[in-house]
Amino acid sequence: MQLWWDEALSKHLLKFNVNGKDHALVVESHERLLDVLRDRLKLKGTKEGCSTGDCGICAVLMDGKLVNSCLVLAIQARNKKITTIEALGTAEKPHPLQTAFVKWNACQCGFCIPAMILASKNLLDKNPKPTDEEIKVAISGILCRCTGYQKIVDAVRTAASEMRGE
Amino acid sequence: MYVPSDLTDLLEYLDTNQSGVNLIANGSDLINRIQRREVTPRVIVDLSGLSEFNYVRKEEKTIKIGALTTIADLASSPVIDSRHSVFREVATKFGGPSIQNVATVGGNICAASSSEDLLPVLLALDAKVRLKSKFGERLLGIEEFLKGKRLVELKANEILVETIFQELDESSACAFEKVGMRNSLIIAFVSTAVCLRLDKRSGRVDDVRIAFNRVAGKIPERAKRTEDTLRGKPLTMQVLEETKSALRRELRLSSDFRVSEEYRSEVAVVLFMRSIARCYATLVGRSLV
Repeated sequence: MQLWWDEALSKHLLKFNVNGKDHALVVESHERLLDVLRDRLKLKGTKEGCSTGDCGICAVLMDGKLVNSCLVLAIQARNKKITTIEALGTAEKPHPLQTAFVKWNACQCGFCIPAMILASKNLLDKNPKPTDEEIKVAISGILCRCTGYQKIVDAVRTAASEMRGE
Repeated sequence: MYVPSDLTDLLEYLDTNQSGVNLIANGSDLINRIQRREVTPRVIVDLSGLSEFNYVRKEEKTIKIGALTTIADLASSPVIDSRHSVFREVATKFGGPSIQNVATVGGNICAASSSEDLLPVLLALDAKVRLKSKFGERLLGIEEFLKGKRLVELKANEILVETIFQELDESSACAFEKVGMRNSLIIAFVSTAVCLRLDKRSGRVDDVRIAFNRVAGKIPERAKRTEDTLRGKPLTMQVLEETKSALRRELRLSSDFRVSEEYRSEVAVVLFMRSIARCYATLVGRSLV
C-alpha cells in the first residue's frame, strides 16, 4: 500500500526506539510505521490487515499505547518507544501470554495473534487481574476472522493468573 | 511534511502556504482519505508534536477540551466527572482502543462527517469551537462551524484549537446512544445525544437539545422542531408520544448500504427515548413513567 502526495518523497530523519534498540534512519514522508517496521527493520511479526484502521491486526505499542501502525506515518513515531511482538519472548522462552495462547489453542490461522498478544500485554501491564469483560474490551479493536474470541479470552485470563504467580 | 516547532510557527506557515495543505494530528482519518484519493495534499503539516493542545480543563463553569486531546485521554480525564460521563459513553463505543488512543477531539470535529461519534454530543451540549490564525481568533457555535459533509467553516490560515461548552449543572444531564452492527469498530447506523435541563420543582422541561447523526444532510444535525414541542412541558406519557410523532415527522435520515431509512428512523426514535429516559433517571433518581 503506497500513500502518495506531492512532497511524499521528501526525506526526514527518524530517530526512535524499537524493542529497546535505538534506530536512526531516513524515511520518506509517505512511509507508514508499519512499512518501516516490516520492510526496513525486517520485523515481520507485525502483520498488515485492512490498512484502513478497521481490523487492528497491525497494532503495536507506541509509548505504551496500542496504536494501528498502518495509520501512523513513520515520521510521527519520532522519539517514541515502539514495542512489537518480537519483544515478547522467543520460541525457547515464550512470554506467559504466548504459553497460555498455545495451551488454550487460541491461535487458529494466527494472523491476528501478534496484535491480540500485544493488546493483552498492554492490558495486563495496567491491570494484572482483569475481568472477562475488561479482557474483551481490551481486544475489542482487533478482529479475529476465525472468530476464536472465547479461547483468546480464556488464554488471557490464564496468563494473568500465571503472571500473578497463582 | 512540515513539522512546526510551535503554534506561532504553525500559524505563520499556514498563512504563507494556503493551498494544498492538509493538517494531520494522529492520522486515523486523513491517512485513509489519502489512500482513497479523497484528498490530494501538496504538503502535510504534522500537528502531533504540539502537546500544549492536549488538555481538558474546567474554568469557572466552562469545560475546555484542547483539539489534540485523544478520545482515550478525554475519557480518562479527571475533569470528566460522573455528570459528564456522556464522554465516557462515547469513548467506549468509539472505534477500538487503538483508535481511541490516536483519534483526537479536534480531528473528529474537523472531519465533519456523520460517522464522527463525538459530534452529536457536542451539538447537544451546544459547544463552541475556538479558531486561531496569525491575525487573531474567533469563537463559533459548532452548528455554524459544521457547514456540510467534510465541510467546515475554517479558513486556510486557521486552525481549530479547542472546543468549549457550559458544564452540566445539577438540573442538566446528557446521554449518548449508538446502534451499529457491533459494539466496537463500527460506524453507527444511527446515534443520538440528548441534553436535558429539567425544572425539578415543576418537573417541566426547561431546555432540551436533541442531535442525531446519519441524517440526510450527511452531517449530524439537531432536531429543533422536536425540541420546541418538548420545551416547557412535563415528561408525561402523552407528551412523549407527541414528541415521538414530532420526531418521526422531522427526521430525514439517509438510506445507504448499511440500513434503510425506515429502519434508521425507527431506531432513532428508540434511541431518543432511551437517551431522554436516562437523562431523566440521572436527574430525578427514578425511571421515566
